Amino acid sequence: MTLTKLVFKNITRRRGRFVFTLLGITIGIASFVTFMSMGGSLKKEIYRETAALGANLVVIPKGSCGYEQLSILTGDQMPTNISAAEVTSIRAIKGVTVVPFLAQQSAINNKPVTVSGIEPAATLDFKRWEISAGRYFQSPDENGVMLGSAAARQFELKPGGSVTIRGEILPILGILGETGGRDDATIFLPLPLAQRLFNAADNVSYAAIRVENLAETERYIEEIRVATGLGVVSDKQMLQSVLSIVGTVNITLQMIAAVAVIAAAFGIVNTMMAATYERKREIGILQALGARRRTIFTLFMLESGFYGLIGGLTGVIFGLATATLATPYISQNAFTTLVKGSGSGSLLDLNIIISSIFFSALVAIIAGLYPAWKAARLTPVEAISYE
Amino acid sequence: MNNPIIRTEHAAKTYTVGEITTSALKDVSLEILQGSFTCIVGPSGHGKSTLMHLIGGLDRPSSGKIYIGDTEISTIVNSDLARLRGQRIGFVFQFFNLLQGLTARENIEIAMMLAGVAEPEQRERAEKLLALVGLAEKAGSKPGQLSGGQQQRVAIARALANDPDILLLDEPTGNLDSVAEAEILNLLQALHRQGKTVVIVTHSDEVAKRAERIIRVKDGLIAA
Ligand SMILES: Nc1ncnc2c1ncn2[C@@H]1O[C@H](COP(=O)(O)OP(=O)(O)OP(=O)(O)O)[C@@H](O)[C@H]1O
Ligand SMILES: [Mg+2]
Repeated sequence: MTLTKLVFKNITRRRGRFVFTLLGITIGIASFVTFMSMGGSLKKEIYRETAALGANLVVIPKGSCGYEQLSILTGDQMPTNISAAEVTSIRAIKGVTVVPFLAQQSAINNKPVTVSGIEPAATLDFKRWEISAGRYFQSPDENGVMLGSAAARQFELKPGGSVTIRGEILPILGILGETGGRDDATIFLPLPLAQRLFNAADNVSYAAIRVENLAETERYIEEIRVATGLGVVSDKQMLQSVLSIVGTVNITLQMIAAVAVIAAAFGIVNTMMAATYERKREIGILQALGARRRTIFTLFMLESGFYGLIGGLTGVIFGLATATLATPYISQNAFTTLVKGSGSGSLLDLNIIISSIFFSALVAIIAGLYPAWKAARLTPVEAISYE
Repeated sequence: MNNPIIRTEHAAKTYTVGEITTSALKDVSLEILQGSFTCIVGPSGHGKSTLMHLIGGLDRPSSGKIYIGDTEISTIVNSDLARLRGQRIGFVFQFFNLLQGLTARENIEIAMMLAGVAEPEQRERAEKLLALVGLAEKAGSKPGQLSGGQQQRVAIARALANDPDILLLDEPTGNLDSVAEAEILNLLQALHRQGKTVVIVTHSDEVAKRAERIIRVKDGLIAA
């Protein structure tokens, strides 16, 4: 017999209570892990999308806030109120390459899909896309669509087929090579076609800009502002404001998870208090057999620590499973589309796994302190006299 | 052989529960010789168990002194007292002696575990002790699967685990019929012959008959 074996025998003696307490901590840690890994992949995704956008500056409607900037990265629908005249006047500035986008959403088979109106030649040049099947647009106002690779896979579409957008049947010209970003899940239309389908006149949603001389970024920003009166942000500013939005969401989610873990901790306190009460006489017997207070304390601490360790382990497994399984079903919005885009592989963050198990064990040990202290404080006679 | 192994000097114990103070033991001075077989008898509620707890180091006197051998145990620190309980004294109570979740063998092993004995040795000795009390085949049984008498024999085997000098038994046969009681008594007499100091609290005349010496406790005092 060893102390550990004794702990294990004690803990499994009341199966129902063992299972329910474990379930409590499992759920707490699982929600913690789910939110942590979702938040983590959200951040990674934001960095990736910002890089995939490939812009030094982004021109957005005046008075736009972080949320619009987030929409650019997520492919959400955006207002279209940058006019063709404004795009032209930006183009007149020396040393900038301007690529306008019309960001819209449509649905195929009732599933939402991002639709992007582009200037075919300028965008191809800017994004350096590869074509994996079919062909690219051949004229600026061709009647047809290009599919991102993931969109083609999701809806089982091929060049030669067609898609219906806003009630109009459009031929599929080709499929883009994999980019690893949002573009994969997007359907691209020539700008004039998109503007007609979405009643956008000659307006666009935003414009991505690459500058010739990065050292003079500030000067370009100023020039665009003066020329058009539109909002201009650098890629770094955009990253900052988007990350701060995501950070707020993350903290909120983590607080919810923390509440779940705290509730679970009280479950452990409860179970351990019941155990000290039930085993009062056994504590007395152990003391009569020579157990010191420290041994009794350790016995109970090990028991609650064991809950923490096992609960942490099962919590991590459930949490990762939930994060992996649930993300594709989370409804489309600016925050969650990013997560949707990310592969499940990025959810398996070793840091999160280890810190969650550690966290769980820590919570359980703290939860076990009071009951263990109560148990160790019993005098042998108090414990023996108890029936 | 004839030196006192247990000695009390004016030992007294009062319990205070809320406003009420009970003098469970008033003034007890006694000597119990090494290797003796002693019975403590007396009316219910007059302090027999309290006396056992004091001489076994399960509780401390309110005043007076308790010696085990040369050690004055009323003043030593808790952890030393715990070690003394584990190594020099074997306890058996009236009922619920055994840890319910563990088998007979495991119950015996626990006592050795607390004394720091390695696992293989625990197991070997536990089996020997079970054989000694005639329960070799019950090693794997949980307390609930044993009769009252068998449970008490396991408790005695466990009390012997760390080879203590002293066995303290508080009404060990209180719940048993006369056959089971006789078995326990034979076992205790055999242990006494091997040199153990045996002290039993009992209400049973059968038990008292076998004792070398009878101490009568009445109203918290030793009666003549
Ligand atoms: N933990 C305690 N708190 C308060 N009073 C106690 C406590 N333990 C014992 N007493 C009181 O001390 C007195 C002596 O009790 P003790 O248990 O020593 O009697 P006993 O002789 O063993 O009786 P019995 O034969 O019924 O076992 C009783 O009046 C009892 O109520
Ligand atoms: Mg008693």
